Amino acid sequence: MANGILVFIEHADGKVSRASYEAVRAAQLLGAALGQETAAVVLGEGVAGLAAEVAAKKLGRVYTVESEWLKDYTADGYAAALKQVISQAEPALVLMSHTYQVRDFAPKLAAGLRRALVGDCIGYKAEGGAAIFTRQVFQGKLSADVAPAGEAPHFVSFQIGSFRGDEAEAGSAEVRALAVNLDADLVRQLPEARFKEAKAAVDLTQAPLIVAVGRGIKEEKNIEIVRKLAAALGAELAASRPICDNEWLPMDRQIGSSGQTVAPKLYVAVGISGAIQHLVGMKGARTIVAINKDPEAPIFEVADYGIVGDLFEIVPALTAEAEKVKQ
Amino acid sequence: MDAIERESLEVDVLFVGAGPASLAGALRLRQLIDAHGGKPLDEISIAVIEKGREVGSHIISGAVMDIGPLAELLPDYAERGAPLESVVTDEDVSYLTATRKLRSPVIPPPLDNHGKYVVSLNKLIRWLGPVVEAAGVDIFPEFPGDQVLLDSDRVLGVRTGDKGVGRDGQPKANFEPGVDILAKVTVFGEGVRGSLVKKLVHRLNLDEGRNPQVYAAGVKEIWELPKGRVKPGAVMHTLGYPLPNDIFGGGFVYGMQNDLLDVGLVVGLDYRDPLTDPHRLFQEFKRHPAIAGMLAGGRMLHYGAKAIPEGGYFSQPKYYGDGFLIIGDSASFLNSQKLKGIHMAMQSGMLAAQAIYEALVAGRYDDTQLQRYEQLVKASSIEQELYEVRNFHQAFEHGRRRGLVESGLQYLTGGRGLRGDLKAEAGHRRVRTLREAYGKTPAGAADVPEPPPPRYDNKLTFDKVTDVYRSGTEHDEDQPPHLHVLDFNVCVERCTREYGNPCQYFCPAAVYEIEPVDGGRRPKINFSNCVHCKTCDIMDPYQIIDWVTPEGGGGPNYINL
Repeated sequence: MANGILVFIEHADGKVSRASYEAVRAAQLLGAALGQETAAVVLGEGVAGLAAEVAAKKLGRVYTVESEWLKDYTADGYAAALKQVISQAEPALVLMSHTYQVRDFAPKLAAGLRRALVGDCIGYKAEGGAAIFTRQVFQGKLSADVAPAGEAPHFVSFQIGSFRGDEAEAGSAEVRALAVNLDADLVRQLPEARFKEAKAAVDLTQAPLIVAVGRGIKEEKNIEIVRKLAAALGAELAASRPICDNEWLPMDRQIGSSGQTVAPKLYVAVGISGAIQHLVGMKGARTIVAINKDPEAPIFEVADYGIVGDLFEIVPALTAEAEKVKQ
Repeated sequence: MDAIERESLEVDVLFVGAGPASLAGALRLRQLIDAHGGKPLDEISIAVIEKGREVGSHIISGAVMDIGPLAELLPDYAERGAPLESVVTDEDVSYLTATRKLRSPVIPPPLDNHGKYVVSLNKLIRWLGPVVEAAGVDIFPEFPGDQVLLDSDRVLGVRTGDKGVGRDGQPKANFEPGVDILAKVTVFGEGVRGSLVKKLVHRLNLDEGRNPQVYAAGVKEIWELPKGRVKPGAVMHTLGYPLPNDIFGGGFVYGMQNDLLDVGLVVGLDYRDPLTDPHRLFQEFKRHPAIAGMLAGGRMLHYGAKAIPEGGYFSQPKYYGDGFLIIGDSASFLNSQKLKGIHMAMQSGMLAAQAIYEALVAGRYDDTQLQRYEQLVKASSIEQELYEVRNFHQAFEHGRRRGLVESGLQYLTGGRGLRGDLKAEAGHRRVRTLREAYGKTPAGAADVPEPPPPRYDNKLTFDKVTDVYRSGTEHDEDQPPHLHVLDFNVCVERCTREYGNPCQYFCPAAVYEIEPVDGGRRPKINFSNCVHCKTCDIMDPYQIIDWVTPEGGGGPNYINL
């Protein structure tokens, strides 16, 4: 009888991925709520060190699987190895973080076993000894509760950031090696060198508060006053295109059709006229405050609060007020 | 970046640019090969490369079209569902003063569009692409032609553009080198001011002894009007407002299906005032009571701009040579009097196909063999049509009033007019300096005359960036600018004082901005706005802007235009 929760641990360059600890944390919470055992599995070649690191978390057990076929990640190798791990460990639930790697192999694994996979969840509810998972539908406009059906194990992946990896409780888990049989028939893929991802970008889409600055700021050194306002509000600093074109702020802070599209709770547009290319990137914000000296600037058409005036007077005054409120 | 290993791909015939000329040519060639009798040909591969994201995404034209060549190419075009908007039902030729519209009691014969069709060339090409593919032609979108591969004077093929090059010129993680496509015959159908044809013409002196090409810029929007108001097939052409006497051009309004109205302005790119701004003139055109009344209650959906080759017969380069042919707008196959080129583009492509077919049978692809294309053109109706209007555009060099008189006389004399065959002057040479146009050379950047800042209401009139948004234009930002300004010092040290940086006015897409910096000026190139109209390459007075193809797939995403 299947029982327990198994967490898949992802690693690269000799390091456990941060996302994996989020999955560990999910397993700890869910294990406590359902009264189930927890375990983790690390696949690879020479992974004892990684397993020891994971075993320092509060888990029942950490399985290691060593094989030359698992030296580099392949969907074939991981799916085949996990299939064999699952038949030995017999978990009821397999938790994963919804990373690129998981997206790559998890469908193959679940389909191969003919078991349910609930992808990209953002939370869970424990009801009557069973877990129900929450996932977003219609581009995040609605949330749906999903109860996996059919025989165990059920596969579940969680969206990055749904759990806090740094809150994973410490502990001391038993490390146990499992043997798997892999060969060239099972692992048909030959991995090439890892694709180098573009440099880490600031993800403004997650920011609840954004202060954005535009051409009205005139000079690079003046950005400081807007930066202060952002700091006082605890907001992320963003910009319209001309600012990033001039390299006064990095490109990954650009909002608009050629930058990021955001929908924060509060968006403060400072010295931004509101070209349509900018508006499409921020008009979904819940509350928009615009500061501009031109009363006919199109930004005022989307703003909830408009301040017509000199930003060099208004922004410092707002900053001072925000700081007063904080104290 | 030079030591890159490139793949090469061999085809028999390569068409560059999936417009009406190439698609008609490729399809006709396939038809001729399929119908070939006698000694069998080897299997012939025909390829078309296209810089746009899809076939059609860079296609924009008026248009009132003579569908003769379409009917010849595909007699069952109607059953196949060719998207023609409507046969021309209603014709109006008017002269606009600032406030009034004076309708001509008769339709001047050259503007008589009886039996012609209102079409969206964009829709037509999006329809024709799959038809051509289904017939057995390979079409490769997102593959811009980057270089002509030459062996002395013989064209071997085309190298396509690299993908995944960063703005610093270094390969990115997704780098993919361009491919050398080698062909027995390479057919250039790049449209107006093709970036490869420009270099090829220069390199092989194909324009020796010809008039320089002259151009116009067409700027237009598609509007959706309240139900039932648009009459499909109703065609209006205007002269006069907002164009001053010394600018060649005019407005057009065409009724399309589904309550869409096509409204635009053509502005000759041989104007004198360096501050002339075709996009702005178009906005003024819409403010005319007659036009504003038509658009009231409507909504602007799409925007686009393109240059039009108007030099005609005497501006045509030699359009064949060892291993290559030039077709369509790239070879100036356009009737500037009627502003119609689609039928000629298609027909030139089909005549090229005939010449290539004969070359394939003969197994020879040299200049002498391919001269057959010229013979076919000379014996065709397009030659006659071009010849009759050979002096039309030139007649307008001294203004509209004189041009109308002279072109009328030309009409009566079979194209000759009173002055015999006329020379043309390139538009970028005709534009006046600030001293000539405004009386003095500015002392410094602060004195440079500027047009008053425009006010647009975002309902009837729109600024350039809003219009650009409606063109669907996108380019990967992390790539080298595809507008090569060969020497920025000329911009700030000479052009500011001599011409007032006209790039910021003639560009209809706000690509060129001149930013004030510490008492001076600095050019800024927003290349990702570029709608690929080539006006900058044409009109820059110093001819230091070189328009090259950006990474494949970049550019406008024209719909209905």
